Amino acid sequence: MAVKIIESCVNCFACEPVCPSNAIYEAKPHFLVDSKKCTECEGDFPVFQCASICPIEGAILDSLGLAINPPGSLTGIPPEKMAEAMAELQSH
Amino acid sequence: MQLPVLNDAPAAKGGCSASSCGTTDNQMDSLPDSIREKVQNHPCYSEDAHHYFARMHVAVAPACNIQCHYCNRKYDCANESRPGVVSELLTPDQAVKKTMAVAANIPQMTVLGIAGPGDPLANPERTFETFRRLSEEAPDIKLCVSTNGLALPDAVEELSKHNIDHVTITINCVDPEIGAKIYPWIYWKNKRIKGLKAAKILIEQQQKGLEMLIAKGILVKVNSVMIPGVNDQHLAEVSKVVKSKGAFLHNVMPLIAEAEHGTFYGVMGQRGPTPDELQDLQDSCSGDMNMMRHCRQCRADAVGMLGEDRGDEFTLDKIEDMEIDYQAAMEKRKVIHQAIQAEMDSKRLEKAEKAQQHKQEPKLTTRPVLMAVATSGQGVINMHFGHAKEFLIYEASPEGVRFISHRKADQYCGGDTTCGDGESTLQVTIRALAGCEAVLCSKVGYEPWEQLEAAGIQPNGEHAMEPIEEAVMAVYKEMAEAGKLDDAKGSVRASA
Repeated sequence: MAVKIIESCVNCFACEPVCPSNAIYEAKPHFLVDSKKCTECEGDFPVFQCASICPIEGAILDSLGLAINPPGSLTGIPPEKMAEAMAELQSH
Repeated sequence: MQLPVLNDAPAAKGGCSASSCGTTDNQMDSLPDSIREKVQNHPCYSEDAHHYFARMHVAVAPACNIQCHYCNRKYDCANESRPGVVSELLTPDQAVKKTMAVAANIPQMTVLGIAGPGDPLANPERTFETFRRLSEEAPDIKLCVSTNGLALPDAVEELSKHNIDHVTITINCVDPEIGAKIYPWIYWKNKRIKGLKAAKILIEQQQKGLEMLIAKGILVKVNSVMIPGVNDQHLAEVSKVVKSKGAFLHNVMPLIAEAEHGTFYGVMGQRGPTPDELQDLQDSCSGDMNMMRHCRQCRADAVGMLGEDRGDEFTLDKIEDMEIDYQAAMEKRKVIHQAIQAEMDSKRLEKAEKAQQHKQEPKLTTRPVLMAVATSGQGVINMHFGHAKEFLIYEASPEGVRFISHRKADQYCGGDTTCGDGESTLQVTIRALAGCEAVLCSKVGYEPWEQLEAAGIQPNGEHAMEPIEEAVMAVYKEMAEAGKLDDAKGSVRASA
């Protein structure tokens, strides 16, 4: 049982100090979770601390490999709207 | 401690808000000596000082505890200049080294700020380690910090220990209903909180932090982002509230929102204010509050005079090779600061005399005019039109000359050929100067001269090296004598 930080991490350091198990560490190209140390905050907090402060949708996955913060959940930008804006920019 | 009330006798609504009207940039004149002493060489707090002194930010604070709809934490672009954008994140050790390298090479740099790219107080260890070391190793540099305010009440004690006498809080609202449209979430007491509840907590923390700082005698400036249709009608209220609590300066900045920034506002098509809308709001707040109008919304790793960025000269690999003797640098800095101060004092005196003269002359009855000025500092017109990356906008009227704002001549993005829409730099510049009837610079080329004239903007290179306000007033009088101010043009702004 452990969460995972993936490549969309922007290295903002926010998660590292809030982890109750000191399972998160700075690495290249992005922060990583020591899966042996990660407890998914069980016994400490009712919610994942790293995923509660992470600003990037999709950057932290649960043990099933699902994004804890799915697209649109943090920025409030509907995913289709984001796709539309990006397509518009690409066409320039 | 309650700071004294500024502009006690507000000028007519929207009118000249300064104390002496011949030249009206005396933003600091109404401040008590104790505050003026603290801000007189701070480019961000004193409009006057920003012509002479430089600042820098060190990007040691990447983490943030809230999300704002105008910010995208993914963004980093070397060509971008706006808050929250940085190229290199620094450790406190690197930040100290960089600060001392800049201080030694740009002696007019007086202020070191920590402004991100996240929230400095959400990175307390990195932020305070930097401040602690700098106050020991480079005691001649002023330290300041800007914050969203969420963690501020808990940090006030620590801030006061490090001898930080300036704090900027970004306060976009005092009403949670409005806050919920600006802040999608906060991280608070180990939870992500959204909506009204989040906004309410943030606002309470900001106001509490503001009161605690004032009680400690720390100067507080408040920044607000003007978001049309969201908080534009509300910011005059914000201005009143923060002033009543003792903030000494309010800086209303325009929202920057482009789709390519990937922010909520950018993607959702929220527009920023026009220069006129921004000026109207600043004017309407100015009866109640000392307003800042010269902010350049700089990057969290900016270096140099406001409006310039010399960060490229001080990248990590470059400062690695620099040998800095800070004791020697401090001696040199002291001499240079004294010389600048003397120059500023004498210019200030001169200005006051001119203002007195102006008052005694028969008063014109002509309409106000906006003029653009190209300057690289020292308060004089000393820049070639084609070299100006930004213009300072002044309003001349029978009341005198007052500083209004700056306008960028190039777009926020400097990658002109690769991502522009084919508009030439000259066209972009002329568009940026819309509403101005003259542009004062040291020189101007033949081609821009013709195009400026065609756009109704009179180029003028006759006042090179002259003090800005005097030159603007001289041109204004020439225009009046030539009968150019008898028409109704500009009457839209004439109410300003």
